[in-house]
Amino acid sequence: MQTENVPSILSVRNLSIWYGDKQVLRDLSFEVKQGQVTAFIGPTNSGKSTLVRCINRLNDFTPNFRSTGDILFRGVAMGTASDATALRKQIGMVFRKPIPFRGSIYENVAYGAQISGVNASTHLDTIVEKNLRKTGLWSEVENILGETPEQLSIGQQQLLCIARALAVEPEILIFDEPCGELDPIETVKIETLVRELTKDYTLIFATNKRRQAARVSDVAGFLYCGELIEFGATEKIFTNPQDNRTEQYVTGRLG
Amino acid sequence: MNVMTTCALRKQKLVSQIITFIFIGIVGAPISGVLQKTYAADTEAASAATPLNTLSPLLDDLYTVLSISFVAILFGIACAFYLQEWLPQTNWVRRFIESVVAILGGVPSIFYGILAIGIFFTDAGTLKTVGIVRGPQDIGDGSALGPLSFQYDTPVFYIVVLTFILMVTPMTIKTTQAALRSVATPIREATYALGASHWQVLRRQVIPIALTRILATGCRAMSSALATVALIFGIYIWQYTNGPREMSNRFILFLSGALFLSIFSSVLIKLCASASADPTHPTR
Repeated sequence: MQTENVPSILSVRNLSIWYGDKQVLRDLSFEVKQGQVTAFIGPTNSGKSTLVRCINRLNDFTPNFRSTGDILFRGVAMGTASDATALRKQIGMVFRKPIPFRGSIYENVAYGAQISGVNASTHLDTIVEKNLRKTGLWSEVENILGETPEQLSIGQQQLLCIARALAVEPEILIFDEPCGELDPIETVKIETLVRELTKDYTLIFATNKRRQAARVSDVAGFLYCGELIEFGATEKIFTNPQDNRTEQYVTGRLG
Repeated sequence: MNVMTTCALRKQKLVSQIITFIFIGIVGAPISGVLQKTYAADTEAASAATPLNTLSPLLDDLYTVLSISFVAILFGIACAFYLQEWLPQTNWVRRFIESVVAILGGVPSIFYGILAIGIFFTDAGTLKTVGIVRGPQDIGDGSALGPLSFQYDTPVFYIVVLTFILMVTPMTIKTTQAALRSVATPIREATYALGASHWQVLRRQVIPIALTRILATGCRAMSSALATVALIFGIYIWQYTNGPREMSNRFILFLSGALFLSIFSSVLIKLCASASADPTHPTR
């Protein structure tokens, strides 16, 4: 896919993050283009989760969290935006573990829409169906909408969480190792879904599986010990890396 | 969080607890001095008067105890919510209140009972005449009049309310905070990530999950309040075996109430433990 001539939706400038005295991210700068999948790869503890949580401003709740630099969403620095909830409605997030809420499958998906202020039940019905269809879960749960999500498999629960995040109608959707707990068949489902969602959403994808990033992403960044070693088109990162460490990582000699 | 900051926080906590302890001592010493003076004055007065059935006006019936402890529990729950959900962990007010709560909540309720006896009763088992004005006919034959009803507009009443708040509130704050903490962080984060406000997270996720535990907390605090009252009656009966018969009835009533509530709260805790026994949501 073309990496040029696409407007950038999110730009990160000189982002550094500390937890207490420990520096987790060092001086990161990159741009996320609209309608693309941006993947962050790197070994465990390299700061991928911290980075994507920062984009959602979830780190606000972490004690001892401190950051410098800017994250600009549509040209507006989000660190200064006082209303983080409005920001999180535009930037959704899917976690490593599926976290279904209390209540039925229907209520889980409707929850996201209800937070944004949709209340009429006819609207909710269409929203729930639309988003469950998007994730491909509709045919499986059509007849058990009123039951609890505990009986679904982990992969189905993860799809449900994606449907719930989509119901808020975000512009960017962040995946923080969404397949960390899934088996290969369910992983394939999620990866296919990610490719389909590119049509409507900008996706940010953190993973420590190199091949997965190669399969799903347009742009990739290699994080190592809190530093962004290399950032560019996925093909280039995986076939012709500029940095020695990136080459070692993608060929499996590092991490 | 790294090791250094944890150590520093622990040190700060210890220091603030020591300061609190000293503070309570400084405030407490003059109070106990005043109490001893009134005690000496009362024993003189009591030797002249006939021991009356004066325990009943202090804690007239179950209803009074329950309503006072209910108010104290509500107050405690409100405090816990404010501390846990709104004040940041590094706030000095929060650290101070948590230190006070840790000290007061750790005191067994029997000490509060003994304290209440020491404060409100003379040696002869009569109520200290702090605020209750009694007519001359009472001194002659108290039993004919029956137990005095609880007087709501006297200073004694407010002191009793304060004692109950002092006893029940720290316990409630401590356990309610634990209940709020038990709501797994991932659930909160997942709700925040959908764009929910703080209040929406509380209303839709935290309160429904923590409610059973908070109810159990309230029951347990009420149970300990009843047990303390039963203890006061028990000591009264033990000292004056020829006292009014209704005292022993009340002792049994309050003790059984306390037993019932404590069993009920254990059942509630068991219930909420089985309801939240979900391997995908480990509590932190």
